[in-house]
Amino acid sequence: MTDKNDDHFNLTPRRKAEFFMPPNHLKNKVGFGGLSDDILNKAQALLENNTADFRPLGEMYLESMMRGVEHVKALPDSMANDDASIASILFPVMQLKANGGMFHYNLVTLIADRLVQFLEVIETIDKDAIEIIQAFHTTIRAILLGQIKGDGGTRGLDLLDALNAACYRYFEKYPEKKRS
Amino acid sequence: MLEICKTLHLTFGVGEVLAAKNGEEGFEIFRKENPDIVLADWMMHPTDGISLTRRIRNDSRSPNHYVPIILMTGFSEKKRVMQARDSGVTEFLVKPFTARDLYKRIAQIIERPRQFVRSEDFFGPDRRRKADAAYNGPYKRESDAKLAAAQKQRMREASLHLDTLRQKAGISKGSKIDMSGDDIDFS
Repeated sequence: MTDKNDDHFNLTPRRKAEFFMPPNHLKNKVGFGGLSDDILNKAQALLENNTADFRPLGEMYLESMMRGVEHVKALPDSMANDDASIASILFPVMQLKANGGMFHYNLVTLIADRLVQFLEVIETIDKDAIEIIQAFHTTIRAILLGQIKGDGGTRGLDLLDALNAACYRYFEKYPEKKRS
Repeated sequence: MLEICKTLHLTFGVGEVLAAKNGEEGFEIFRKENPDIVLADWMMHPTDGISLTRRIRNDSRSPNHYVPIILMTGFSEKKRVMQARDSGVTEFLVKPFTARDLYKRIAQIIERPRQFVRSEDFFGPDRRRKADAAYNGPYKRESDAKLAAAQKQRMREASLHLDTLRQKAGISKGSKIDMSGDDIDFS
């Protein structure tokens, strides 16, 4: 049985939303049937065989990342906590993650991905966090200078593990700095 | 990256690919050419992919508010995906990606287009995925599989309980009955 206090009847009215299906002109244009494996393999080969040099782009992102670090360092402690300060470092790191793997530098993507995760969860950038960021920066720079393509093999994974461990140690030391 | 994306599309058989270096330039080309699909990068200056999406969806000068938009980015965290989704992107493509990843997004747009929603604070593709009743494959999330298993167990228990009630009432499945609720002990 229901009564006046039943939650179902006390809910606030739902917001009005209008739903509609736009015409699918694209379907009419492309017709039926997907792309063959041959075409997809050709496209993939094109990605894998691109000879563009990622290093100048990577260096640009690393410089931008360091400008962000210097900017945060120059700020008083109370101002280094806002999202804009973290973003000034995070965005170039995200670009390294995104583009490294597209240009054969998979290890750059793996390492930058770890740093993105670190930056996404910290609420403030303190001295220890900056040291970690600089360690990532130095490692990625070394990879670019050494032109270490692919995942870097065992040594590459060791590097990644060491940087991972640094992030874990940071959160063990400052558990309160991890965003919930 | 721009060149790579352009060549990928041409390999897929796209007739004409128009390129822009940022969202500002992209919106101008979009206004003039009214393309069938927009592939945008999140990180562009001065106008990024999110702002471009908002302009395409809401600007009165936009020639097609419903155009499918694929947003490429290195971000994969949930809050970023939600931010992109809330701006009105149709599909999200995490970089680095393979040719098949890009093809899947395009195929999804063509074969399973999303309906559009207009509400007080949102205009864009429906953010919910439609449930496919015929789907019998693996669940994407472990929690979904657990919920489904729990629901199956509840249904089994309800069915057994119903059998017990039938037994108590002395009727069999499918029998026509003529009695009121007071005639059966539901305990």
